[in-house]
This record gives sequence, C-alpha cells and structure tokens, in this order.
Amino acid sequence: MPDQFATAAPDEAVKLALQRIEESTARGEGSNVEGLAFNEVVVNMGPQHPSTHGVLRLVVTLDGELVKDVIPVIGYLHRCKEKLAEKRTYYQYIPIVDRTEYVAGMNCEWGYVMTVEKLAGIRPPRRAEFIRVIMAELNRIASHQVAVGTFTADLAPLGTAMVFYMFRDREYILDLLEEVSGARMMFNYFRFGGLRYDLPDGWVEKCRDLMKRLPKLIDEYESLVQDNAIFLQRCVGKGVITQQDVIDYGITGPCARASGVAHDLRRTRPYSVYPELDFEVCLQSHGDVFDRYQVRMDEMRESVKIVEQALDMLPKGPVQLGSLRAPYVITPPPGACYTGQENPRGEYGTYIVSDGSRYPYRLKFRDPCFCNLQLFPKLLSGNKIADAVAISGSIDLVLGGIDR
Amino acid sequence: MDIFLAILRAALFVVIAYSVVFVGALVNIVFERRVLAFMQDRHGPNRTGPHGVLQSVADAFKMMGKEDFRPLLADPVLFTLAPIMVMFGAVAIQLVIPYTGGMAATELDVGLVFIVAITGFTTMAILLGGWSSRNKYSLVGALRAAAQMISYEIPMILGLLVVAMVVGSLRITDVVAAQADYQWIAFYAPFTFLIFYIASIAELNRGPFDLPESESELVSGYGTEYSGMRFGMFFLNEYAGLTIMSMVTVTLFFGGWQGPFADAVVFWGVSWIGLIWFLIKTYILVFALVWIRLSLPRLQVDQLMAFAWKILIPLGLLNILATAAIMLWVPQWKWGMAVFSWIALVAFVGLFDPILKWRLRRQRDRLPVVNA
Repeated sequence: MPDQFATAAPDEAVKLALQRIEESTARGEGSNVEGLAFNEVVVNMGPQHPSTHGVLRLVVTLDGELVKDVIPVIGYLHRCKEKLAEKRTYYQYIPIVDRTEYVAGMNCEWGYVMTVEKLAGIRPPRRAEFIRVIMAELNRIASHQVAVGTFTADLAPLGTAMVFYMFRDREYILDLLEEVSGARMMFNYFRFGGLRYDLPDGWVEKCRDLMKRLPKLIDEYESLVQDNAIFLQRCVGKGVITQQDVIDYGITGPCARASGVAHDLRRTRPYSVYPELDFEVCLQSHGDVFDRYQVRMDEMRESVKIVEQALDMLPKGPVQLGSLRAPYVITPPPGACYTGQENPRGEYGTYIVSDGSRYPYRLKFRDPCFCNLQLFPKLLSGNKIADAVAISGSIDLVLGGIDR
Repeated sequence: MDIFLAILRAALFVVIAYSVVFVGALVNIVFERRVLAFMQDRHGPNRTGPHGVLQSVADAFKMMGKEDFRPLLADPVLFTLAPIMVMFGAVAIQLVIPYTGGMAATELDVGLVFIVAITGFTTMAILLGGWSSRNKYSLVGALRAAAQMISYEIPMILGLLVVAMVVGSLRITDVVAAQADYQWIAFYAPFTFLIFYIASIAELNRGPFDLPESESELVSGYGTEYSGMRFGMFFLNEYAGLTIMSMVTVTLFFGGWQGPFADAVVFWGVSWIGLIWFLIKTYILVFALVWIRLSLPRLQVDQLMAFAWKILIPLGLLNILATAAIMLWVPQWKWGMAVFSWIALVAFVGLFDPILKWRLRRQRDRLPVVNA
C-alpha cells in the first residue's frame, strides 16, 4: 500500500521518492516497518504552493513534521531562452536577457552585454561604465528587498508587514530605474558599447536624495525583525551551509558569503570600474539562515555606498560609443567567451560561442539559483517542515533564472 | 403562559447567539483587514460601502454563490459535517456569558467548566474536516490543531482555576458580581491573565500560534480542500472566535459588563449601558488580538509545544500553588495576591525575552564557525 491517497498516476519524481522510501525501509532506516503501512508520506510542495516563490516543485517525503527527503523538480517555467538566442541577432536578444532572472534585470543584461563586448573587443565609455554600476547596484538593493521581504513572509504575518515596507521602498528604486529606461522590471537599457539613453535631467539629484533616505529605511527593516526573539528562534542555527558545501556545490552570492567564503566577483574577479570603488565584501561566519539574512541587509548598505560613490565620480561624456545610435548589427569574431557577473544571487555567468555571424552560435547562462538549488536535498532533509520553508526562503531562488 | 415565555426567551437567545457569531465575524473581518492595512502602510478594503464596511458582506455573498465542491475521495459525511459542527462551539459558549446585567441565557452552576469543555469543540470539527479531506496538508494541519488544543487547554484551565479560587464559585454571573466596583481580576491576578490570554490565543489558532493553517507551509492547513461556503463556515468561525474569546476574557478578567453608569438605564430588566461597556471592552481585546497577530512571527511546532509544556504549565501550576498559599495564610489575601501576581508578571515579561535571546546568542556562539 504505497499511497492510498494517490489519485493520479505518480510521475517520475514521485516514483523516485517512493522508491527511496522503499530502499530506506529495506535498509531498516526511517520510521517505516516492512509489511506495515508507511509512516512516511510523499507530498508535492508546488508547483503551486505559497512559499516556493514561483513554480518550483519539491517532492518532499514527510515523516510527521520531519522532512526526510527532498527532490526538486524544475522546468515549469522553461521558455527556451538559450535556444532563442541562436535565432536572434546579438542586439535582438538583449530584452530577452531581462526575462531570465527577472528580479535583477539590469544585472543580467550587464552580464550578457559585457560578454558580447569582450567577444567583439568593444570598450564602453567611462560614463557608461559608471551608470552601469549605479543601475546594477540599485537593482541589487531592489532585489534584496524582494528576497528578504518574501523570506520573512514565509515566517509569519509579521513578514507580510515587512514585505509591504520593503515593496514600498523598492517602488522608489523602480521609479528611478523607470525614469532612466522606461520600464520597471524589463529594462532593455544596456547596449553594446554603452547604454540606450543618458540619464535624464535631475535624475542624479533624485538618486542622491534616495540614497540619503535608504540607510534609515534599512534600519527600519532591521528594527522590525532583528530584535524579535521568535524571529531569532526560527533563524539561528538553521540550515547551516558549510564552506565545503559552498565549494562542492558551487554556491555563490550571499549564501556563500554567509558561510565565510569571501567570493564576490566585484572583488575577486573585478570587472568594469569596481576596482576604483570603495566597498566591503559582507561576510558572516556561521552560514545559517540568520547569517544569510544579515549578509543581504549589509549588502544593501554597501550598495548604497557604491551608488553614492559612483554618483560622485560620474564623469561627463557620451554614454554610447561612436554615434548616438547603438550598433544594430554586431558580428564578433569567431571564438568563445565566458564572463561572470556578480548578480544579487551569485555568479551570473554568460558563455557565448560565436561563429562570426550575426547570431550567437551557442549561448549558455550559468545561473546562481540553479547551482544553489542543488543543495536543497542535502540542506532541507532532517529539518522540520516549517524550517524547510524558512531555509528555502533564505536561499532566495528565482525560478525564471533556474528554468530560463 | 410561563412555558411560552420560556420558549420565547430561549428562541431569543438562540437568535442573539447566532447573530453575535455572524455579525461579529463579518465585523471582525473588515476590522482586522483595516487594522492590518493601517499597520502595514496600505489602504485595505475601502471601496464597498463607506470605508469598506460592507466588504465582508460582499465576500459572504460571493462565497455563497460559489460551487459546492467536494473532492472525489473525501469522506462525504464527515466532510459535510465538519463545517456545520465548527460553529457549535462559538454559539454554545454564549449560553453562559452574561452580555449585560439581566441578559444571560442561563446561569449555569458550572459555567467555568462549561467554557473549558466547549472551547475544545471547534478543534474537534477542525480535526474532522482535516481528516476527512484526504489531503496530506489538511491532515498535518488537523493534527497540529489537535496537538495544540490538548497542550494549551491545560494552561487555560490553570488560569481559570485561579479565577474560580478567587471568586469561590464556578457560576459566571458570580464571577462578574465578584468584580464589582472595579475589583477586576486582571488587576489582582495579572499573571494569571497573561497565562490565560496566551493559552486562549493558541485555542483560537491565531498568530503567532496559527500553525494549523500556516499558509506558508501547509497551503492553508486543515481548510485546504474546502471552498465556497464550506470554507466560509470555517472562516466565519475563526473570526467569530475573536469576539467570543474576547467576551470570555472580558467576563472573567475585566469585570464583564460593569463600568461607569452601567446600571443607569434599565428597562425590561436589562442594563443597556452595561452592554455598551461590554462591547467596548470586547473590541479593545479584539484589537489587541489583531495587533499581536501582526507583530509576531509564527512559532514552530516543537517551539509551540515546548512553550506550553515547559513554560506555561509549570508556571501555571506554581501560580496556583502561590495563590492558594496566599489565600490560606495572608489575611489581606487580595492585596497579597496582587503584589505577588504583579511581581510575577513583571518578572516574566522582563526576563523571558532577555533569557531567550541570551540562550539563542549562546547557541549561536557555540555554532562552529563553518570551515572546510
């Protein structure tokens, strides 16, 4: 009697979960007794579930409240982004990059544009580089606000208050980005060798004004949860990622830095004008849920610092190489190129193979969420189901990036 | 003739009890949504009627218009029975609550026992609904509800015992009468009130103890398979519970319907101003419940159980022992009890949070700095 509740035929993932239960029972592990009914049940969390933040499906084996086994199933948001590139010119593909990891569109665009520029041997003007840094960091703050907001929402109704506070302030940032690019999330702003538009009049002042207010707002978020004993109880010591895990699984971004791995591409493999800017790589040492939350909070502050510096150093000049119009047709010489870019969630790598035509021969994204997702079975097993939700919230997955 | 009057009276109180449940629920839903919206810096429902007061009426009509759906494999009898049963507790508990002077359905001799007995009833319906839905989320939610009820019933009883000891009677009208002249039990026994209040929030399945329907883990817990008016019954009960539990708390700890000029206007043998006081006190407590729900993250199952069995129940037992000792040996026992209880309250509130955080900090320091 594997599962008397099952109505539909189990699919591959459920079959695998049931098979693993049988194997563990045969080994004499777990709480099942051979010949008797199963104590462990297989539960589908997702693709429609309030706390998977998208269409992630977790096939979870539950023993009461305890999570025994997790099998992540992805692909519900697959839109053939990489294949699409082979039928689009380099220029036509820019708006599509926004839609891979849609919470941090500016960062993704930058990664792609940077790779093509490297391939074609273009260097954008200095002003464009600084504006790119500003855009990427603004988007990083907005992205972390989504990450921390939804993570606290997993913990409680209190979190919904947090979400509203964070989304309220995210709106200020999106207003700035909208003024520059015309869109709130799907920006389509970066161009090979520069940017689509220069900053509008008065934008710098508005941005400066927001950067003055943001640290106070970040303090407000912290005061909302940081001192709450229940919040700490739910976060401290839960879901520890060790440094060995970070290296083994290729974890990047805040999750790696919370475990004390000082891997921040802006410092370790600097690109653009980051070497000229003064900022710290935010590190924590325990690698638990609370540390990941803390790293994101600290990074928001650091990003404010970076934006302020970049605004101060912003040179005059063109934002686009050559003419005002971006080059519509670009034909990089044959070759392959990989660039890593520090996305809010980790290393966003773009790999392009060019055969010298107007279209990329092959394009591949290394998405940080995809790599972080690999850790799920190891990280969630053995936790209470409520903890599992909190931990998966703290990893901060964006399914658009995973499935592409 | 008398029997007709008695029947009329009984019918009247049934109508009152049901209207308190339904009207209370509808009001509470709008009230909570507006208060939450205010606290979360947004507008909330403000389009249906003036300031959105008709929002929950509109919602109720929408729910009634929905398809009456039952999952194929759900148990047909129990699945239908659960939403009907869920309302009984909220209605029946009003049998013993005096809304105001001269306005109580019965004067049951064992009113306090009745309250304890009947509050568990809702959980039974929840268990039934969760079990019969044949959904794993529902099952986990229902079992959480049952475990939570069993655990938190005990501190609640321990709180009520102190009330019974102070008043010397189990009759609710006596409890109210004993609190005349603002001698509210909450003033004499604030610590008892705290224990009772925490337990009653858990009995209501409200945040931070809303584990049976924790939406981020269990979709919506025991109610996952319910939709339309069946879901509506669970929802109504949950929000009627706010009013009902606040009424019980007001009656037991805050002097019930008594207040300034409570007996000023009396006709048909009912003190009408007392009713207003009763409602005001009740809604202050409802507001407190909404506030608590917003400000605290949800506990986890093991933490919830640990809090009941390791903290609330021992403290409740100690509280009873101390109260009994004071009543036995201290001549001015009411004042002695007040001093003890206030000190206990301040100590508990002042020490609990720092100790918890200190323990967490120690646990954090003991965590190995993760290394390869």
